[in-house]
Parts: sequence; C-alpha cells; structure tokens
Amino acid sequence: MAKWRQQVTKWLVEKLDLPADAMMDLPRITMIGQLHIYIENHRGVMAFSREELKLRLKQGHLVIKGQDFVIKTILPEEILLEGTIEGVYYDKST
Amino acid sequence: MKKDWLEPINSYVKIELRGDDLEGLINGCLAGGIAIWNIERTGESSVSACLYTRNIKEVRLLLKETKCKFRLLEKNGLPFWAARMWKRNGLLLGLAGFFVVLFLLSNMVWNINVTGANPKTEYQLLKAAKELGIKKGKFIFLLPNVRQLQQRLTNAMDNVTWIGVSLNGTTYNFQVVEKEIPKRKEASSPKHLVAKKDAVIYDMFVEKGQPVVSPHQFVYKGSLLVSGYIGKEGKTKLVPAKGVVWGETWYTTSVTIPLKTDFQTFTGNMITQHKINLFGLKIPIWGWKDGEYKAQEVSENETPLRFWKWTLPVSYIKKEIRETDGVQRVYSESEAIRAGKSMAKKEVRKLLSHDAKIKGEKILRQSVSNGKVNLSMHYQVIENIASEQPILIQQGD
Repeated sequence: MAKWRQQVTKWLVEKLDLPADAMMDLPRITMIGQLHIYIENHRGVMAFSREELKLRLKQGHLVIKGQDFVIKTILPEEILLEGTIEGVYYDKST
Repeated sequence: MKKDWLEPINSYVKIELRGDDLEGLINGCLAGGIAIWNIERTGESSVSACLYTRNIKEVRLLLKETKCKFRLLEKNGLPFWAARMWKRNGLLLGLAGFFVVLFLLSNMVWNINVTGANPKTEYQLLKAAKELGIKKGKFIFLLPNVRQLQQRLTNAMDNVTWIGVSLNGTTYNFQVVEKEIPKRKEASSPKHLVAKKDAVIYDMFVEKGQPVVSPHQFVYKGSLLVSGYIGKEGKTKLVPAKGVVWGETWYTTSVTIPLKTDFQTFTGNMITQHKINLFGLKIPIWGWKDGEYKAQEVSENETPLRFWKWTLPVSYIKKEIRETDGVQRVYSESEAIRAGKSMAKKEVRKLLSHDAKIKGEKILRQSVSNGKVNLSMHYQVIENIASEQPILIQQGD
C-alpha cells in the first residue's frame, strides 16, 4: 500500500510538475559554500559530533561530514548547521 | 528560516549537557517545542547549547528521562545583563544624573547683561525683568520668548526708548536706549514771552515783565505778549519775563465713523497645549483638546532645548488657543455722530497740553456716505499761548 502510494505521488510529481520536496517529504538542502547547510524536512538528530551530523529522514538517513560543526538553530523540521562542510551523503539503510 | 529576534531581549543560558543519549535529548527538545541553539560538541559525552531560561524546567524533565546532567556556563540576555548592571547602579545613576544635570544647566539663565544703561536704569530694568521671571537659575524654556520679553520690558519701563533683548546661549543681553530728557534751563537770561499761535487773549497772569497786550485782543503767532524790558523809559532793565497767558485758540478735526464695525473679542475660554517638537515631529504631552471653537486665535511659543553648547533638535512648544467672539457694532446715525464727537474730542485732547480747557465745540460739517459718517468738528480752546523768546544783547551796546 505504502509502495503504491509512493508510486502515485512520484507519478504526480513527474506529470503535474508539483514540488517534489513537499509531495514526497524529501529533504530540501540549501548550502552556502562550505559555511552553512540548511536542511528542511528532517525527522530528528541521530548523531552529532564536531565532524559528523547524522539526521533521520522519512526514508533513510542524511550524513553530513566536515569540521567544527555547530548546530546554529534546530526546529522540529529545520536545522541550520555551521562549520566546514566536506560532504553530504545519503544512507539508504534504516 | 525562523530566527527568534527576541533572543537578546529574553534571558537565556548557555549550559553544558553531559550524558550518553544527547541526541535523544535534542530530539526531545524538538518534540517538546523547546528552542535550543548553538549546539556544539565539547567532548566525548558532552555538548554545550543555549536555552531560554523559561524552558529550564521542561529541560530538567527531559534530562531525567534521558539520564543526562547539566552545568550552567553563562547567563545571557537583557534581564541578566540588567541585573549585572544593577550591581553597579551607582555608576549608572551617576552617569544618568550627570546628563540630566548638564541638560538642566544648559537650559538655565546664567547671566544677565545690561548695556547702554546708567546704574539707575539698570537697576530698574533688572527689577522689571525679575518680575517677568528672568533671574539667574531660571529655566529658559519656562520664560516667555525674546520678542515678548522685549515688548513687555519696553512697556514696563517708561524712561527708556527701546530695549533690545537677545538670548545668547544661557545669557540674556539687554541693550538699552535711554530717553534723554533735557534739563529745564534756568530762566536767568532775559527773555520775552511771545504768542505760540494765533489767538484771542482770554486772561493773563504775569509774574515778571511788562504785559503789552490786554484781554480780548487778537494776536498773531509770534507777537510779543510780555516784554522783558521793565521800568520807566530811560531806566529800563532787562528781566526774564515769566507768566501765563491764556488765549482762545481754534482747532478743527475731522473724523470718520463707520456705521458697522466688526470686533474681535476674547471670550476668556482658552486651551493651553504643551508639546515636544522632536525632529519636526510634534508630540503632545499635555492638553489634548484641540481648538473646537468657531473662531479662535492661536499663539505658539517655541523654545529650543539646549545641551552643553548645542541646540538639540528638540524643542518645547506652548500653544495657546483662545476663543474669539465676532461682535458687530451697529450705530444709528445719531449714535455715530455722538461717538464721532467724543473721538474728535479725544483727538484734540491729544494735541493739547493738560492744562488747556475746551471751551466749546461746533459741528462744521457732517455727511453720510458709503455707510460712514464724516464729521468735521471745530473746537474753541483756552490754552497757554506764551512761549519764551530770549532777548539777544548786542555786545558793546
């Protein structure tokens, strides 16, 4: 059922040109150089250290790697991270 | 992105959190709607973060759940800052007090200078000024403005032609032009008395000298009335003639009285408004009622406030709104003539010295045109027509 629903939304997004982040609860990531990263639609913090931030998503995780991480702001669905960002990775495992 | 702009105003604390499940704690905060920011890993099992003080209780509960501990690092925000500042309140009060005192002193009268007056007039002027409130130590913005002061002082002083008032910083400068009253010359040199104007002699009283005219005699302007030569012929002596010669003289005046006149009178109702002018923006501080009178007259008095040697862009405005009443006076023709007569009489009185008497009056001509009454009056006046004329003694005579 969930699989089918996802298929439908994907089809809607493709055919009707609807914003994917809103329809499918995907993270929207905004980066300003290496300085800031701003992530919307996350589902909580899994791990946080100076070098790594692991966020829970609706499906899978998002891993951000870098140095001197500080969470500037955190709200239920948004997070602003500061530091030197080196990489953003998706982790499909749940 | 949401950002709490009230962050510096609300009090917040920087705390250190210790525990194993710190991520769980952060998620707990998110779920509970507790604002948390500036999260930074400080060690293996510790992070520092900022929280509002009002959320501390809820965080404590979460700490218990996740078995974490916390330590206070910093207290921030306006309330904490104010509390820290309050510990040094003496300094703050002193600073504020200094500015208040400087401001007040900048708006005080410090000096009163009088130039161009002799000591007596100066004393009188200072006394008159004191009555108007100009004293050392008075606040300038409570005093009437320079123009009004000038007018009132000039009115109050009768031995002065003109007083110039200027306000230079905190100093009032009074520039005085004194009336020069010529001294009466001693009547020692020999003189005649001659007629001031054409007249019929009415009565005369001669103290010294030889009268050469008698009552009911017509004299021209400049005719000799009382001679300074006395004594029998051959043994004449020169004296300063002295006396009063009453002569009947004639005056004509013409006056015009309109039958309808509009007058503006004050009803006595007034509103006073006090305002502060801040950079051209007028902020009322007292007196909210605006003039709801039908007819009114408004006078505004603006005093700039000063600080040290600068004039602030702030000034104090006192606005007075007085209700006026339009009154129309309508004269009938006979009333207009009566009013015209008394006006003409006043006018003639102005021309006469105070010992003169008006003996009779006659209407020469009267006409009504364009709603006005034109009146020509003739007056018979008894006045002193004697004027002194020195007798020139030729040298070697």
